[in-house]
Amino acid sequence: MAKRKSGTTVGRSPARSQSRRAPVTSKGNRAERRRASRAGKGSGGRRWLPWVSVAVVVAAAATIVIAGLTHGTKPASKSATAPEKVARAVQGVPGSTFDKVGVPPNLAPPIRLAGRHPPLVSGDLPQMLYVGAEYCPYCAAERWAMAVALSRFGSFKGLGVTESSTSDVYPGTKTLTFFGSTFTSPYLAFTPVETTTNQRQNGAYAPLQTPTADQQRIMNQFDAPPYTTQAGGIPFIDFGNRIVVTGPGFSPQVLHGLSWEQIAGRLSDPTSQVAQSVDGSANLITAAICEMTNGQPSSVCDTSGVKAARTRITTAG
Amino acid sequence: MNRGVVQAVCLSLSVGGVVVAGYLTVAHYTSPSLLVCSDRGMVDCAQVTSSPQSSIAGVPVAVLGVFFFLAMSFLSLPAAWRSQSRGIKGARLGLVWVGMCLVLWLMYAELFLIHAICLYCSLVHVITFALFVLILFNNGETDRATTPVDAGLDHA
Repeated sequence: MAKRKSGTTVGRSPARSQSRRAPVTSKGNRAERRRASRAGKGSGGRRWLPWVSVAVVVAAAATIVIAGLTHGTKPASKSATAPEKVARAVQGVPGSTFDKVGVPPNLAPPIRLAGRHPPLVSGDLPQMLYVGAEYCPYCAAERWAMAVALSRFGSFKGLGVTESSTSDVYPGTKTLTFFGSTFTSPYLAFTPVETTTNQRQNGAYAPLQTPTADQQRIMNQFDAPPYTTQAGGIPFIDFGNRIVVTGPGFSPQVLHGLSWEQIAGRLSDPTSQVAQSVDGSANLITAAICEMTNGQPSSVCDTSGVKAARTRITTAG
Repeated sequence: MNRGVVQAVCLSLSVGGVVVAGYLTVAHYTSPSLLVCSDRGMVDCAQVTSSPQSSIAGVPVAVLGVFFFLAMSFLSLPAAWRSQSRGIKGARLGLVWVGMCLVLWLMYAELFLIHAICLYCSLVHVITFALFVLILFNNGETDRATTPVDAGLDHA
């Protein structure tokens, strides 16, 4: 019975097995023990193997999970204030540049909401709501266009600079951040929500701002099909509950490898790819804002670049 | 655990794996490539199924999963368990080791490279681990009473 359990004697003829049990010399005994030892390794002696294998796999999986959830733990860093040169360039793009750039065909346009919805306002002013995150490379691209467009309606104070996550696609895309800034305009209110920083904390990006219940409700309603194929994606912009943007106007690839100063410096050169993308998207955003403000101010909303952009705003579905 | 139960569980897990991996294959081909960031934190299946790591040498991991579980289903059929063939036993053991190693790589990719977790992928990982454990502890066992060799021994 014991021999059958070993597994190695299975299939051996009884006579042959019997001959191995016959008394032999001490040399023969040693050979028998070696054979028995080898036989033992056949199965019974290796019964620890599955346990060790499972233990190794479990240990490896646990290590991956624990390390994955704790790696890259750094304190959330506050973004720096934008250098004066950058802030000035962003807020000082000439009107002629916008008109020369117009709206290049490769830019993603805003989408007009289907039906009528209660207007999104802040006090007496129509409200533009932006939800993004500092880690997000697509938000990084869109922020340049938003800041340029908004600067045509008012002025920023305390605009910051930051970069997208260094471990995501388009790593380290240089950008601005609205966190900690204030925007003043007689035409509209701008409400930016940066949900996280670009720094990881316990496996996730450290939280920065939480959308209010109303803002979350707006996202649930309009940052969803048919306005986007990726519900809940960011960047998301709501222009007074009339028009939405559910993704970046252009690819962050355009900004790849450029510093804040280099990006800002090219905004006023209508032939540069940066201006084509950023200022072109800014024209689209401006056109969306103009719908909120009922075409005010006309010095902005009646320009050729903005008029061209207005025709590009699409309808869902 | 009773051998019959183990074999039935292995077959059920393998068939379940085919279903889940099949779903992920459909998701891989139908999910648009993401041009936005997710605001859903770590749990985001689309982020995982449309990531660069969702393919190995151009073959979607989900498709590899379907083939893996189809093969495991075949190797978990009662006839395969009854077989004394070293090839079948070796294939079952080798395949489940390959599957388990791939699961560890995918866990690493989700947590370190994609920074998102797909719950359906996690279900596949759990199924593969369960198969791994069951096969490691039972692959040597066969229905000996039905094999001619053992029948001969019993007569002796």
